[in-house]
Amino acid sequence: MSIASQLRAAGHICYFNGIIPLWRSPLLIAAVFLTPFSFLFFLRVISTPELFKFGVVGGILFTVLFTGNGMLNDCAYLRLERQLQQIFVASPVRPLSYILGMALSELAFTLPALALFLGILFVVVPFGAAVFVALVGIVLLTWLMATSLGFLISTFFRQLREIWPIGTLVFSLLAVLPPLFYPASRIPSGFQWVAFLAPSTFSAQLAEAVLGLNQGSALSPAWLNDPWFDLAGLVGATVLFGATAVYLARWREP
Amino acid sequence: MDALIADHVSKRYSGGDRGKLALQDVDLSIPKGCLFAFLGRNGAGKTTFIKIAATLLVPTHGEVRLFGHDVVREPERVRPLIALVPQEGKPFYHLTPREHVYEYLRVRGATRESALTRTEEILHAMGLMGVANEPNLRLSGGMQQRALVATILATEAPFLFLDEPTLGMDPFARRQVWEVIRRAARKGSTVLLTTHYLDEAEQLSDELAVIDGGKVLYRGTAEKLKLTLGREVRLQFSGGFTSEELREFGRVFSDRNRLTLLTTRAQVRSLTEMALERGSEVVVGPVTLEEAFLELVGKGIEEDEA
Repeated sequence: MSIASQLRAAGHICYFNGIIPLWRSPLLIAAVFLTPFSFLFFLRVISTPELFKFGVVGGILFTVLFTGNGMLNDCAYLRLERQLQQIFVASPVRPLSYILGMALSELAFTLPALALFLGILFVVVPFGAAVFVALVGIVLLTWLMATSLGFLISTFFRQLREIWPIGTLVFSLLAVLPPLFYPASRIPSGFQWVAFLAPSTFSAQLAEAVLGLNQGSALSPAWLNDPWFDLAGLVGATVLFGATAVYLARWREP
Repeated sequence: MDALIADHVSKRYSGGDRGKLALQDVDLSIPKGCLFAFLGRNGAGKTTFIKIAATLLVPTHGEVRLFGHDVVREPERVRPLIALVPQEGKPFYHLTPREHVYEYLRVRGATRESALTRTEEILHAMGLMGVANEPNLRLSGGMQQRALVATILATEAPFLFLDEPTLGMDPFARRQVWEVIRRAARKGSTVLLTTHYLDEAEQLSDELAVIDGGKVLYRGTAEKLKLTLGREVRLQFSGGFTSEELREFGRVFSDRNRLTLLTTRAQVRSLTEMALERGSEVVVGPVTLEEAFLELVGKGIEEDEA
């Protein structure tokens, strides 16, 4: 299959695994909204307006990162419960088309929530077109990173019940504990570097830098404050997880 | 020309079934255009073989070539030539059968026109037109299986792997599916199917292989398999005989109040006369594939146990 055919295949997978279910069961959108908006609600109640801005950024990234959990669960369900990944392996469809198609379908579920979060963000931190483009770039890189990781993990298990806790564990570690909903400067000095062990921290730091939220809140060591460091970290993690998903995931069982 | 050649294929699973040899030195060839059935008990190795040949699983030893391409080293050349109905597969539940077939064909690279035509043809042939626009989740298990089989048969792939394709279908649906499978073979597809319905294997296959414990015990036609028993007639008695009495005439099975004897044609006249004298009801018929299969695999089990 040519590259155009592979992209078209990914588009079709997105259509029948993302758009059609969304169209037939709109309640699925509510499930995506629920957790990040609950966090945001608590933050609105208990924190300052300044910290609420971090909460909105955190909500956007949380929503995107949980596409990875959706990917993990969907891919595992299709492979183990419905045996459907097999019909794509035994076909001209390449792993990359399948992964991309599934990842796009996960993104489709989150688009309404992302649009609402971006709307709220615009109200609390007005931004221009350039910042919008940068934010979209950060969202896309984070989505690729999370869904690649989700697919990779999904191929290594033989039981759905083993996967459910793994997904919750991995994506909670990526989306709840790191400084997404709060500034990294709130972490005690000397331990701030630890947050960067979670690649989602790069996304949050970069988004906050683009929006000008973390001015005057220096991290130590000093190089943690460099947005280029965050960009390199995010791109590096995305490439690493993406390549690992394509080359190491078990498309064929050993 | 052979569509599939398996050469000394073995598979030892790691992990939970560590040490278990699922396939042992399997040699097999399937001619192009052949409708080939794989028979065996649960866990005999049928699905393992299909998974290896369909590029889903790597063998521990040996080689499988499909249309001349090695399935391990050249999967990109093999995959466009194959399609697979997985064992216990279920279709995407939120799609309708029409969407399911059409979208899968499009994903495989079919043009819009070709996908539309083939979708309508297969839905009609498989008796799915009445539910073509119902989401799969509202269909019965048998109907869902039909939707999945329709999806794969619509590909018209040169090699079709059908792992228990009629599982859960009623007898009418099974016959409808058989006809579509036969049509695929007539159009030139090679078909490898597994089934536990021996009548299905007999009706459909040009050739079959019986596999047990990962080894091929028999390969040939269903008719020849029945002849290998050396007993071509089945007599069923209701009363009048004990199994000990009948054992000297051939193989005896007891089933509720009936005794089934597999024997030679030469014995039929004397046995039916004896039955009439004793007032026993007797039914005479040819040996079935199921009886030949039970005999063959039963022997294998006895040898293993010995």
